[in-house]
Amino acid sequence: MTTMATPTQPAPTKPPAAPVYNPKSESTTAKRVKSTIFHIVALALVAMVLYPAIWMISASFKPNSEIGGANNALWSNNFSFDNFVTAMEGIGGVSTLTFFTNSLILAVGAVVGTVLSASISAYAFARINFPGRGLFFGMMIATLLLPFHVVIIPQYIVFQQLGLVDTYVPLLIGKFLAADAFFVFLMVQFMRGLPAELDEAARIDGAGHVRIFGSIMLPLMKPALISTSIFSFIWSWNDFLGPLLYLNTPEKYPLPLALRLFVDQTQSSDYGAMIAMSVLALLPVLVFFLVFQRYIVEGVSTQGLKG
Amino acid sequence: MIDRRKFLTTVALGTASAAFLSACGQSSTAGQTGSAENPVTINYTWWGNDDRAERTRKAIALFESKNPDIKVNGNFTDFAGYWQKRATEAAGGGLPDVMQWDLSYLRDYGQRNQLLDLSTVKINTDAFDKSLLPSGQIRGKTYGIPTSTNAFAVYYDPAKLQSLGVAEPDGQWTYKEFNAFMLEVGQKGNGAFYGGTDYTGVWWMFNIWLRQNNIQAFTDDGKLGFTKDDLKKWWNTTAELRGTPALVPEERVTQLAPKSAMGSNVTASEVTWDNFMAGYLGDSGAKELKLVPVPSDDPDNLGLFLKPSMLMVASAKTKYKDAAARFIDFMVNDPEVGQIFKTSRGVPASKTQRDGTTFEGTDKLVVDYEKSIEKYLKDAPEPPIVGFGTLEASFKRVSSELNYGKLTLDGAADAWFKEAEDLIKQNA
Repeated sequence: MTTMATPTQPAPTKPPAAPVYNPKSESTTAKRVKSTIFHIVALALVAMVLYPAIWMISASFKPNSEIGGANNALWSNNFSFDNFVTAMEGIGGVSTLTFFTNSLILAVGAVVGTVLSASISAYAFARINFPGRGLFFGMMIATLLLPFHVVIIPQYIVFQQLGLVDTYVPLLIGKFLAADAFFVFLMVQFMRGLPAELDEAARIDGAGHVRIFGSIMLPLMKPALISTSIFSFIWSWNDFLGPLLYLNTPEKYPLPLALRLFVDQTQSSDYGAMIAMSVLALLPVLVFFLVFQRYIVEGVSTQGLKG
Repeated sequence: MIDRRKFLTTVALGTASAAFLSACGQSSTAGQTGSAENPVTINYTWWGNDDRAERTRKAIALFESKNPDIKVNGNFTDFAGYWQKRATEAAGGGLPDVMQWDLSYLRDYGQRNQLLDLSTVKINTDAFDKSLLPSGQIRGKTYGIPTSTNAFAVYYDPAKLQSLGVAEPDGQWTYKEFNAFMLEVGQKGNGAFYGGTDYTGVWWMFNIWLRQNNIQAFTDDGKLGFTKDDLKKWWNTTAELRGTPALVPEERVTQLAPKSAMGSNVTASEVTWDNFMAGYLGDSGAKELKLVPVPSDDPDNLGLFLKPSMLMVASAKTKYKDAAARFIDFMVNDPEVGQIFKTSRGVPASKTQRDGTTFEGTDKLVVDYEKSIEKYLKDAPEPPIVGFGTLEASFKRVSSELNYGKLTLDGAADAWFKEAEDLIKQNA
């Protein structure tokens, strides 16, 4: 029952090699020294990990000619908010807020679709013994092995023939049809860890599948649902290729497409505006992550009920 | 229950197949036309930054006001994404009606019959230089009309030269003199400035040198027109400068990417296309950059040519050939369009458009440069072979390995020739 083969997410960084503290054999001074060293090392590591983010934030306040190239300084004397102003002005008559809204529609659509469809599919795989279950489960896992690039063109042809190019349908329909095998798998594994006695008890009380799923499984699956939401939100928010292929009208572009438009090697590149927009684009993901992050590890590592 | 389910399935299937059939059934009747009351809509797509998007939006609005029977739906992406998207669309049969195009991709899509032969529709090319048009033609068919041109040049920063006490070049120089100039800058720059980048790694500069020596880069049947010895001789041109302050070290160039060495204020000169001016000015923050012709050991043959910096093409499957042709004609010929774009696409290729545009500041520098080299210009190269982009990139890579000292001269020439010949065989 405890076959948890789900990919592990990095746990929140543990203090590296914290000195063991033994109050009996150590004086307070030694304790303080050790603690200070530990904090210095930890801070140095944090600085290293955060450097790219700090670089990005500092660059977003620098004029274009001082970003990259021979300029490595984090601080510039020409500090200004100009980049943010340019970034918010939008591109080619489309306001930046439109790009944000589009990204948000796609991300929220992806979260809703994935959570609904993956949980229902997972329920079927984990709890209903239908003929060919093993085969279908195997096939679903097999889609994980299929590289995205193999299916791009056939998929494009299908959506093109159906006249669905330049709509959000190709980007969202898969989410509502549980096409993200990873999430289905994650939830199946989670559900298998939930005691079957709970369903049996419910069945004796007269509950059908709908009732068992809605009233027993869903509430118990909260950690798995939340980690699914977080991942599908972030993946959809950062997706570049899908929107690039399926969307034509700039008014429908999400942020990742818009970001690239500031950098054009054949003309002039506005790195400043691009970085400023990246900073802005990062905020929703960051907020989403901060709000839900405590559930991530729980969702991946909890196996059913404890105690 | 079952009835309703059956009903729903039937409806769903019916809708899907109807949509599928109607999509298949749209046969391409040659050139549907619209009217002012009932305009046709064509899709136009381009790559570029927000500045180009803004200018194009203005041009489209102007076109629509002059042609009330056509609506233009404009889309844009960045350059790299642009080609990914086009490749998928071409496979799926959904290329937009009119597209901005790059010379390197013309043969690829043209040979696969994805592009419309523009000689079958009405586009006025009278105002074009006759030496330029062949670069949009493949085997007698015109797939692309150049919007604008660019030419190769040596950029330098006059303010930097002055501060170092180096005389400004007049642009009449041999390779020896050019090398001496870079070395002088490097030595006086004292580690803060280098003379320039190693120009022997630039494919187009090699191409120009071949032209100066009356060698064709590619033969008419698409094979290499030069020998390994030619290539070695070329790479040897800067042999004595490598490792001196004349050339910025390769690892420094890599560190500075995506900015160029000149854009990062590390070198005082750079050999590249003249329409990169705005980008260099923006990246470096320099007040002024100047352009002079490339060096040549034969003062009468500079090997220079005008290359279409971009072209306009139409999809072979467009339903609105006539509307597409009128839009292309407008974009390449109309003087007001020139006034909108200035030199941001390159110098306008059509004389009508060029003469109708007033150039100032940076734009004027580029236009003046192209005027100054007019007497040296030879025919534009024909569309590069399929896979040219890969070849150009490997030229850069192999020569930078030569610069790093990872490859000997012979090894580098062998490596590149092998790659080039394999590629040509593959695409033959």
